[in-house]
Parts: sequence; C-alpha cells; structure tokens
Amino acid sequence: MKIKRSSLRNAGLDIVGLAVTVCFLFPLYWIFISSLKTNAEIFRVDQTFWPTSVSFVAYVDQLKGELNIVRPFFNSLIIATGSMVLSMCLGIPAAYGLARFELYGKKSIIMSFLVTQMLPPTLILTPLYLIFARFGLINSYLSPVIADSTIAIPFIILFLRTYFIGLPKGLEDAARVDGCSRFGAFARIILPISTPGIVTALSFSFIFAWNDLIYAMTYMNETVMRPMTAGIYNFMSKYGIEWNRIMAYGVVLVLPVVIIFVVLQKYIIGGMTSGAVKG
Amino acid sequence: MSKAHVRNGEGLSGYFFVLPAVIFMVAFIGYPIIYNFVMSFQKVDIMTLKSATREFIGLANFREIFSAPELAISIGNTVMYTAGCLVIQFVIGFLLAVFFNLGFGFQEKLRGLMTVAWMIPSTVVALLFKFMLSPSSGIINYLLVATGVVKEPIGWLISQKTALWGVIFANSWIGIPFNMILLSTGLTSIPGELYESASIDGASSIRKFTSITVPLLKPAIYSVLVLGFIYTFKVFDLIYVMTNGGPVHATEVLSTYAYKLSFVMYRFSEGAAAANVLFVCLFVVGLGYLKLIREGEEIQS
Repeated sequence: MKIKRSSLRNAGLDIVGLAVTVCFLFPLYWIFISSLKTNAEIFRVDQTFWPTSVSFVAYVDQLKGELNIVRPFFNSLIIATGSMVLSMCLGIPAAYGLARFELYGKKSIIMSFLVTQMLPPTLILTPLYLIFARFGLINSYLSPVIADSTIAIPFIILFLRTYFIGLPKGLEDAARVDGCSRFGAFARIILPISTPGIVTALSFSFIFAWNDLIYAMTYMNETVMRPMTAGIYNFMSKYGIEWNRIMAYGVVLVLPVVIIFVVLQKYIIGGMTSGAVKG
Repeated sequence: MSKAHVRNGEGLSGYFFVLPAVIFMVAFIGYPIIYNFVMSFQKVDIMTLKSATREFIGLANFREIFSAPELAISIGNTVMYTAGCLVIQFVIGFLLAVFFNLGFGFQEKLRGLMTVAWMIPSTVVALLFKFMLSPSSGIINYLLVATGVVKEPIGWLISQKTALWGVIFANSWIGIPFNMILLSTGLTSIPGELYESASIDGASSIRKFTSITVPLLKPAIYSVLVLGFIYTFKVFDLIYVMTNGGPVHATEVLSTYAYKLSFVMYRFSEGAAAANVLFVCLFVVGLGYLKLIREGEEIQS
C-alpha cells in the first residue's frame, strides 16, 4: 500500500515537473516552430502551434543573397574557436600554477581575476579600440578574439584552479621521480586526467565568444567580418518584421550552443555552480 | 643541492605557468581600466581620439553627464531593471529549486534541461522575446487576449510605460535557471537528518523551512543575489537588441547610455565618465561579494 502511494506521488510530481519544464522552455519551441512557418502564417489572426505546412523558405533564403549567413556563421566560428584556443593556452597553465605553487602575490592575483569578471565591457571598450587601432587590428579577427579572451581567461583560471587543487599531489611527485620536469609532469600526467574539467572550461570559453555582441560590433565595422551576433542589426533593418527569417537566424545562432549543451550538460551545470559569472 | 635551492627553482617555474596570463590581463584589462579612468578627466572627441596629447579638463565630463537628464534616467532604469529581475528570478528560481528537490524520478533531468536557457546568447533571447511580445503577431498578446486577461494586444516594447517590464521579463527567463541551479546545489547540501530530527521534535513544515532551510541556504542565497546583481546591472546585449534603450530612453540603462555617448555621439570622454559611474556601482557590490567569499574560505579552511 505504502509503495503504491509513493509511486503515485512520484508519477504525479513527474507530470507536474514535466509540465513546468515544457512551459518554461516553450520559447525555444516557439523560435524553432516559427522559423518553419511562412510569414503569412505568422501574421494570421489565429496563431498556429504547429505550422500548417512546414516551410524551409526562411532558411533557404538566408543561404543566398547579399546578407546570407554563410560568412557571418564562419566568422562566429573562427572568433569563438580562436578565443577558445588563446584562452586555453594562457588560462590552463596559469590555473595550474596558481593551484600548485607558492607564489608571491598569489592571493591578490586570484582576487583580481575575480574582480575582472565583474567589469562591464563598456568600461574597456574605447581603450581597447585605441590599442587595436594602433596595431591595425580593427576589422581583423584578432580584436574580438583578444577582447573575448579577457572574459574567458579569468573563468578558466578560477574554474580549473579548484579542479587542479582537487587532484592528488602524489601524481606529479611520482612523475618527477621518474625524471619528468615540472612542465613535463603537468603536460603528461595532469592534463590527460583533467579532461572533464578542461572540456568544461573550453566549452564555456567557446560559448562566451560565440555569444559576444558588444566587442565584435565595436571592433568589426566591415559587414563581411562581422559574426552572426553583430550582424543582427543589419539583418533586422533589412527584414524588419519578417519574423520567420529572424527566427531562422536565431535558430542557426543558437544551434551550436544547444549542441554543446546537450553533449556536455553534466559538465556545464558543474561549471555554472562553481561560482562563475556569465560574461 | 640544498633544500632552499630546490624551492627557489620550483618557485620560478611557477611564475612561468602564471605570468603569460597575468601579462595578457594587465595589457588588455588593467591598462584599459586606467586609461578609461584618465580619459574621463580629459577632453576626447572624434578629433582628439587618436592624438597623443589631450587636454585635461578636470571634472567637466562628469559635470556634463550629471547635468543632462539622460544619466539620471539611465541610473533609475538600471536600478529598476536590476531590482525587478532579481526579485522575479530569485522568487521563481527558489520555488523551482524547492520543487525540483522534492525527490522524484525525473527531477535531475528536468532541472538540467531548464538550464539551457542560461546558455542561449542574449541576442537570440532578445530577438525571440521581441517577437513574442510584439502586438501584431506575438504569442504572448495572443494568449492574453484569448484568455481574456486583456481586451486588446499591448505594445509591450513600444509603449514607454511597459517597455522596461518587457526587457525584465526576457532577462528573467535567462536568470531563473541560474538561480534555480545554484539554490538547488545549496539545498542538496543540507543534511536530511536535520529535517528528520526536526520532524521527531514535532516541527511544522513552515518551521523547518524558516529554521533549517533558510539559515543553511544563506551562503547560496547571497551568492545568487550578488552574482545576479552584477550580471543584471551591467546588461547591454539584451536591451541593445530588444529596444536599443527606447522608446525615448524608457529602457536606457547605464551600459547602453555609455555606449551611445562613445560610439554613436563620439563623446568619448563623457562615455568614459558614464562607464566609470557604472563601474563604481558594480565595484561597491563586488567588494561585498569578495568579502563574503573570503569569509567562506576562512570557514572552509
């Protein structure tokens, strides 16, 4: 009798939970479904919750013409990958250094990384513009890559530092006895066993850069160089209220993020709860 | 080899690991912050932007922006926006965290699924909510009219009275899962025995909530509120894409105002001054947060 009641309670809660989740994630369903409608259907008085005829016209349109999304998509990909690689090269060793060594000013270094996560991008926007202009980096991929890395590097360092601290110290000592250098021990022993942490850090740094609007918009004024986020304004002024196209644009922009999320969900939630701020 | 010698070598290799990142951050964060600070006391416009020497004009930039009504409007909107978002996100996030902690089969899967909203680019959330809130084809107006809550569609983002609520609504959708996840982690860390022994002593559920859950959840509550404050107070993307600060400054916040001063009106030094005002607000709250973290670490160690 008791078992029956608790399984009934369970099923009831499952149903309520499912309903809550469906309602909450409805906007994501809506963006997807609207991208498959014709604009005429979107503006019908009676809204349809499933397209009367599935139409890919909103997607097909974007592959051709002057404002096609092929170039912006690859720009986004290049910037996000570039920022991920740069932040990885600088961030991972620093995280390890701050986890395993006694360094002068270590506490202040960690604190200042924490502080940088609170900064509004508008604070450094103009000075960075002038630095990039001086080195001829305006309208090059390097400018958003560098600017986005200023968000990713502190995240990687703070996140992976706690991760490295959690690894048993004996690992490196054993490698050192076998004749490895400090760096050798780090590269050959620590990095391979830290894959889950590193993958989390990498996916976050990719997403920070992929999602960035303000840096790309400010440092890339040539339309051909702009990533998808920064292209939104051109796109909206051209297509106005052709919502099916705008939603299709959104779907393409959101897709890589959702894929990363689905594959790495467990790790990403771990990263969220580690006390990190979104950039 | 003496022991001190080894330690010296060790110490040095530690710096090799850390220095590249530190140099990068000093060059691209530290230096720009100081530069921006200096610039807010200089006269910098489109003519002098790239020149080597600039005239120092004291507090003139600050006087200028504080005497224009836009700054006060932006500060007011930023505070309203932040307060609105924090209350909505926290209350709903807390309720969901408690709900998804009741112990049922799908709870972890569903809770995890909801966090996807937090990862979505704010630009896309902005487009999506702009569409959903639109008066002619938006699903929200459709549902409100269909259920009889309102008689006529509301131009949420078009009317000066409702625009700020429109962007608060959109941002809360991103913030709710963040609050929920952090509070959930806090909830699961409360040992179940506490509730059991309270039940034996005959405590009511409300009593258990106020004397066990809330006090033990305090660190998690503080951190979601402070992190939420920082993230919300410096909002840019969402508002820039949804309303661009309009209609007539109804959703103008400090970030969008500072951006416009610098990159639309090319009044760079006034933009720098406005950004510094934003920075000071964040810094004060941020310092409180750092203090909290320090205390937490001391308790841990």
